[in-house]
Amino acid sequence: MCFKNLPIEFDEKGNAFLKEGVNNPYEYKVVELDKEQDKLKDLMVKNGYIKNIDYDPVTRVAGALAFHSVVDLQKKEVLSTNSMATLFRGYEIILKGRDPRDAAYISSRACGVCGGVHATTSAQAIEMALGIKPPPLGIVMRNILLAIEYLYDHPLHLFLLAGPDYSEELVKETNPELISKAETTATKFENVHGYKTVLDIMKDLNPLKGRLYLEALEMTRVAREAYVVIGGKYPHPQSVIPGGLSVTVNITTLNEVYHRLIKFFDYGQKVCGIWDDVFDFFLEQNPAYAKSGSRPATMADTGVWDRPDAYDATYENCEAWGEARWATPGVLVDGEVVTTSLQRLNVGMEEFVEHSYYEKWNGHPYPKDPLGSPLSPHHPWNKETIPKPGKQSWKDRYSWDTSPTWDRQPMEAGAYARLYLTAKAQKLPESRFLESTGSSLKIRIPAHKLPEAEMEWKVPAQWNTFERNRARAYCIPYSAAVAMENWMLAQQLIREGQTAVSTKYEIPKKGTFIGFGAWGAGRGFLTHHLIIENGVIGNYQIITPSTLNAAPRTPWGAPGPYEEAVMNTPLLENFDKPEDYKGIDILRAIRSFDPCMPCTTHIMSKNEKHVVTREVTTCACGVE
Amino acid sequence: MVWSKDVLIGTIGYHNLSNHSIGPILFEKIKNLPWASHVQVEEFNWGPIAIVQWFQALEKTFDRLVIFTAISREMREIGELTIFKWGGETPSPHEIQARIGDAVTGVISPENLLIIGEHFNIWPEEVYLFDIEPGPEKAGPDLTIEVAENVVDYLDILHKVCLHGEQSEENFPTLYGYQMPIS
Repeated sequence: MCFKNLPIEFDEKGNAFLKEGVNNPYEYKVVELDKEQDKLKDLMVKNGYIKNIDYDPVTRVAGALAFHSVVDLQKKEVLSTNSMATLFRGYEIILKGRDPRDAAYISSRACGVCGGVHATTSAQAIEMALGIKPPPLGIVMRNILLAIEYLYDHPLHLFLLAGPDYSEELVKETNPELISKAETTATKFENVHGYKTVLDIMKDLNPLKGRLYLEALEMTRVAREAYVVIGGKYPHPQSVIPGGLSVTVNITTLNEVYHRLIKFFDYGQKVCGIWDDVFDFFLEQNPAYAKSGSRPATMADTGVWDRPDAYDATYENCEAWGEARWATPGVLVDGEVVTTSLQRLNVGMEEFVEHSYYEKWNGHPYPKDPLGSPLSPHHPWNKETIPKPGKQSWKDRYSWDTSPTWDRQPMEAGAYARLYLTAKAQKLPESRFLESTGSSLKIRIPAHKLPEAEMEWKVPAQWNTFERNRARAYCIPYSAAVAMENWMLAQQLIREGQTAVSTKYEIPKKGTFIGFGAWGAGRGFLTHHLIIENGVIGNYQIITPSTLNAAPRTPWGAPGPYEEAVMNTPLLENFDKPEDYKGIDILRAIRSFDPCMPCTTHIMSKNEKHVVTREVTTCACGVE
Repeated sequence: MVWSKDVLIGTIGYHNLSNHSIGPILFEKIKNLPWASHVQVEEFNWGPIAIVQWFQALEKTFDRLVIFTAISREMREIGELTIFKWGGETPSPHEIQARIGDAVTGVISPENLLIIGEHFNIWPEEVYLFDIEPGPEKAGPDLTIEVAENVVDYLDILHKVCLHGEQSEENFPTLYGYQMPIS
């Protein structure tokens, strides 16, 4: 039984229904945060070592994220946390009333990195609503395009954004004792990366001049070049449309992609070797690092990369085509798979706004999904976006982000969630390159300059800062392998003369149609829930990975994933005086999620003329 | 004397932000001016890192770069044009890294471009920032009247700067990397 908190049960055929005898099945208790905040205030008055530490903005993340923490600098522990999305995202409002065909182009602008992911998710929402099945080559090329996007995204995060946190320059400032140890610690994977000691790696992680930093910049170029061959341009592809792609694909296209893709075979091996060496070093030097950014492996993913023989875009079959994906969808609770059904994933989703700058809404227009399963009034198909800027208060509202939950639990999202679920679920279809063992994912990476290799990502014992980034590194060879598998399929389709890449469709002028798109960005899954009414968008709701990860407290007081991870982070930084404290452990924990706030928050559109203003409530000074 | 070396004009700006989008709004107009063959016009909205890599891949670099954009500055009237000569001198490594962080995550910014380009040593000897005061940010595909009525003058001056550089009649203040606020 996958739901423990929502009153949803299943009959012997697997059909969901609301538990009988529950008066208000979706009722919840709102926990007041006043007492907790008052207690913290008292503590701060009594103890000079307990301080507010604010990161505003959190640097080396995409977009506007601020983070408030109360830390005890004597005991070196975090007492309280608040994650703040400091800008409003107006896409739900911007898209309302527009032609659904605009959605892919407009929603793509939600992010300057993963525009293609938004465009694809949007296209899929329309495909589901209107029953548009793309042709096989359209599906396969879309898979390649989005796998390449990850090949841009993961190196960028690992070496340009998170990487400097583990560089010689930074570690020397925060934990100099580790530098001498790194100098004498031999690496385990010199055969793939060429570095003899951990310090050699850390030196090349130095920002701006380190060779690994510069190499990652170059690899983003290689990925971008491959991407634009299919997408037309980056980051907002011109060719992603409902029903497939609007680009001609031939053998030349595939060759152009192949010449770039193969570079990631070697690079994937190298990156995994680099981060295995660095993270193993930290964890071996001080086992307390295992607690950094820790939280239960409670996470969700919609899966990505559709099989052309399975994907039919229908809600009715979404469980089957979802489970056929090269990344298995589902939900993990404390490391255990509770479902791999896209439908159940959808049914369990809710979004709450008690601690966000939004009004609550009253409607419940969709009490059931198209298969008759019950939907909460807080489900995205029932949600309305009603912005309500206001005073920032840790007791009340403090973020433009909402609190999405699945089965009333905050869920973490990440590229690693797709790796974790795929490894655990063992639902992976037959593959030349991938094998799911139940405790690991084996990736057979083809030879380029390095020999062919079998890499294995193993489910870690504890989910933390380091394991998020390690798994992200393994997502490079994983994505490259899926791209290669699809590249071979594309070749076969072209040889067979199946060259169509899109399916024609029309937007019906009358009637109501609902659908949702479910795909993944570099930093985790996203969904677009769409309602088409009489030819225009009646409602559009976007949940992004950073909506999930940066979430404020739930109404019942459960912290969002950043908040929980930082709460569990021991302060292992070496400092004598409070004024020398830099907060590296907290920053590492937050950055390990690969925050991308442009998707989470954006601009506010005032009135029907779409006047853009910025409503920024960001300074934590004087906040209650 | 008319300059005959290679000149590149790059327009920068987000779309649909009225005066703030003067780069993309005037791109086609600038491109269609009767330039000699040694003047090339490109849209520079593909991100500082991609532009750096584009310069690095050039077989022959340009002699002069003119960046055409809008940046809000204090003490200027809407539509006022300032042409800066780029003096280089980057800010702290920490700030350069912050700007690279912005760049790789999709932020389009002429200031970031100038600093990142300087860090990677890609700029030609002469770089000019052709910078128009856009006023408050607002949405829309068109320029406001204060800017629209000056477009002919902007293009005339742009023409002179591209062909004559410092020998044109303009007086160019120098802009250094360390002076630029993070956008």
